[in-house]
Amino acid sequence: MFLAAAANPLNASELVFPTLEVIHIVGFAVLVGTIAIVDFRLLGIGMRRQKVAELASDLAPWTLIGLTMVLLSGPLMFSSDPDMYYLNRAFQVKMVLLLLAIIFQYTVHRSATKSEGPPLRQKLVACVSMTLWVGIIFGGIFIAFI
Amino acid sequence: MWLLSFAQWVQSTDFFTALRSSWYVYPIVMATHLAGIALFGGMVLATDLRLLGVALRRRPVADVVGQLRPLKHLGLTIVVTCGLLMLGSKAEEYYYNAFFRMKMAVLALIVVHALVFRGNVYSRGSVVEFDRTGRIPGRAKLAACLSLVLWISMVVAGRGIGYIEPPLNKIHARGGRPLPHGRGSLTRGAAQVAAEF
Repeated sequence: MFLAAAANPLNASELVFPTLEVIHIVGFAVLVGTIAIVDFRLLGIGMRRQKVAELASDLAPWTLIGLTMVLLSGPLMFSSDPDMYYLNRAFQVKMVLLLLAIIFQYTVHRSATKSEGPPLRQKLVACVSMTLWVGIIFGGIFIAFI
Repeated sequence: MWLLSFAQWVQSTDFFTALRSSWYVYPIVMATHLAGIALFGGMVLATDLRLLGVALRRRPVADVVGQLRPLKHLGLTIVVTCGLLMLGSKAEEYYYNAFFRMKMAVLALIVVHALVFRGNVYSRGSVVEFDRTGRIPGRAKLAACLSLVLWISMVVAGRGIGYIEPPLNKIHARGGRPLPHGRGSLTRGAAQVAAEF
């Protein structure tokens, strides 16, 4: 069912994996960093002179670039040792959080940035968003430790 | 060798010994370091891309640079604090690590970058001037490009640190595991061996 790790061309060069890791790290910095700018704006911190809707739509392409980088590099890293990742509890948690975060980002978060909703709701959305993304980063790190 | 002696002393303190010995504190610090990188990196990216004229073009440069600065500083504080905690807990191992040395060299270049461009690109006076003339000069674009290259180099060197096997016969630290490798089973073996050491 899974690609055998030994047969995977990714494992032929020892430079491939670290390169993917760097793409993954830079990618999530772009992804989470741009989302953080919008989240802090929802909290009333940073970029306050710009409308939330405008800021969110200006940054959306960059968020998507970051998301593309992590979604390309991530599965390739996974394929280098599928069994280990599949059975890794931190990885499992990370995948659930990732799914939730992506759904949240393109549903609740998107609508919160489009409408000038009640401030408390905006702040709640920002907190949930940041918690999810930071949780994913923690999940990623803990893969190597448990 | 005073630096090596200092590194050995730092990691032998109760605080850093405890940090190193706990199975979860070290990864929490590392994950916070990474979360800080996302925050800091995002702010650096937005600032530099604005200077390059490719992102947030509807906002004045002064707004973007000025308003993101506090968040950038928050991110940097998180990154540096967690970085120092990791460094202190395994100081001797970092001392021998070629990628760590490379990372510090890049950091030195970043300080040089700041000294060169802070006043004439990132300062309030400069960005207001860019907005007034409606033109971002070449030196600002150069500063933005160099900044992106330097920070990506930091990530490359930082990730490289975990790929160097520590010279176990020279390491005096007790407790804890060596720097984790991103890789699963392949290097997990080495980490386990070292943990028993």
